[in-house]
Amino acid sequence: MNLLRAEFRRLLATRMWRGLLLAAALLGGGLMGAMALVGPQNFSPPMPGLDTGTGVRSLLGFLGYTAFVPAAVGALAVTSEYRHRTAAVTFLFAPRRGQVLAAKLAAFGGAGLAYGVILAGTAAGALFGVAAIRGISLGLPTGTVLGLLARVGLAMVVFLLIGVGVGALLRNQVAALSVVIGYLYLGEPLLMMIPGVNRLYPVLPGGATAALTDFTYLADAISQEVGSTAVHLLPPAGGALLLTAYALTAALLATILTLRRDIT
Amino acid sequence: MNGRPLTIEVSRLSKRYGPVAAVRDLSFTVEPGVVTGFLGPNGAGKTTTMRMLTGLVSPTSGTATIGGRPYRRLRQPSRAVGAVFDASAFHPGHTARDHLRVYAAMGGYPDGRVTELLELLDLAGAADRRTHGFSTGMRQRLTLATALLGDPRVLLLDEPSNGLDPEGVRWLRGFLRRLADEGRTVLISSHVLHEMQQLVDDVVVIRRGELVAAGPWSQLAGPPAVLVRSPDADRLITALHGHRVETVEPGRLRVHGLDAPAVAGLAARHQVRVHELVAENTSLEELFLDLTSDKAATP
Ligand SMILES: Nc1ncnc2c1ncn2[C@@H]1O[C@H](COP(=O)(O)OP(=O)(O)OP(=O)(O)O)[C@@H](O)[C@H]1O
Ligand SMILES: [Mg+2]
Repeated sequence: MNLLRAEFRRLLATRMWRGLLLAAALLGGGLMGAMALVGPQNFSPPMPGLDTGTGVRSLLGFLGYTAFVPAAVGALAVTSEYRHRTAAVTFLFAPRRGQVLAAKLAAFGGAGLAYGVILAGTAAGALFGVAAIRGISLGLPTGTVLGLLARVGLAMVVFLLIGVGVGALLRNQVAALSVVIGYLYLGEPLLMMIPGVNRLYPVLPGGATAALTDFTYLADAISQEVGSTAVHLLPPAGGALLLTAYALTAALLATILTLRRDIT
Repeated sequence: MNGRPLTIEVSRLSKRYGPVAAVRDLSFTVEPGVVTGFLGPNGAGKTTTMRMLTGLVSPTSGTATIGGRPYRRLRQPSRAVGAVFDASAFHPGHTARDHLRVYAAMGGYPDGRVTELLELLDLAGAADRRTHGFSTGMRQRLTLATALLGDPRVLLLDEPSNGLDPEGVRWLRGFLRRLADEGRTVLISSHVLHEMQQLVDDVVVIRRGELVAAGPWSQLAGPPAVLVRSPDADRLITALHGHRVETVEPGRLRVHGLDAPAVAGLAARHQVRVHELVAENTSLEELFLDLTSDKAATP
């Protein structure tokens, strides 16, 4: 309990915290608002409009691609403890390192939730607002849209925790940020261009996130390229489970390794 | 100070980093109520030993205990031990108060304790400034404040005077002396010896990871040296053949292992003129050089 209170204090005292919430509002309200205003039918290549189910899903899917932001924040926060050498102080106050990491995961879970709620909330406002102003009736029922947005929000929590796990594992700030941003933002899309490897898309973090909103844009593109058999996303629940498994694996590995490593 | 005094015991402690034996079969104890200097040249293994004492580094073999328990088994470690390894271990975006509040929460101490320490370490004026603008002295005091949050009975400081100005060093000396007088166990490592001279009561000297000497420093100091001024310094050196003699400057010698009457007698027998003969207490610095030189290590 003390540890959890300490980790919340640590987080809330930094300016990064306010930046994080601002980013959530900008990406949620800003990005969603801009995409909805432009309209998916005007994207290049053009996609179905907002009055179709696919059109709405695609916007939510793009929102899912911003998951690298909370992941980077998680990695940044944890590695800054090593960079600024407070990790040793923390382990002096709390030599049970497993508990320290658990408290961090819980605190960042809370932060991720705040991020996800703001992101989804502002995105909902922007989407419904633009639709109302432009007189478009969305291609999906309101309840479905809110449900999908909630899934995107939860995915942000999981990605933030994946970031925390990777950060705790690598300890080096530059390395952890490169891995998280590099992989999620650049690496995975690049991997998808490699024939054969791209069949793995559904079980990679990006594919699992797309599954949450049934956002088949990239999967379809890959299917066309592969030609023979279509690449199918997991069902939403499967995507959610897989994402959670990624976060747990990263956290577990980080915990096990941290327990034994020398802090020098 | 809360509770009974605690003794540090290091027993047959070893640490290997791959091919490097950082600490080898090291044993010593550190008593409460005195300031103990942990001395050794760069790379001797001081930091590694202190990190093993606090559970940050796992020993390859041997044990290190505080009040009879390994650090990781202490019930409330920050109440028992305050340790400082890095002179600057805080998030640059945190204020001094933020930083202390994080660790106060972790140790279960009230916010009032934070205010108390900010005042005790003369940081009250800077309490709400972000630490990235802190001077070396302020950083040093903030790390000390962090270590003292739990009013610990044992204080471990790794090179605490690094980077401090003479004023800061003097302040630190007085501060540590007070803590030891209250019955706490104080262990401070250093390779800057003249700063330790007027501070330490006991010393533990290591070299290449091995114990060289341990005990009250007045006992270790051994026989005094003699400073001799002589116009016939060269002949005196010949006369002193077999004893360790340093030339301090032309015409001035420092003779080790003999007292003043013995040097005077030798000089008389060899008809060497002596203008000045001063008995000198061995300084910590010389003791240290003596003990850690290769000659001393291979008797
Ligand atoms: N993490 C590490 N990996 C490999 N070797 C290490 C590591 N930490 C220390 N060493 C080696 O162990 C030996 C002891 O180092 P240590 O830092 O304990 O010495 P020290 O007495 O504190 O020196 P200094 O006065 O320079 O601080 C050195 O040879 C050092 O190179
Ligand atoms: Mg050192």
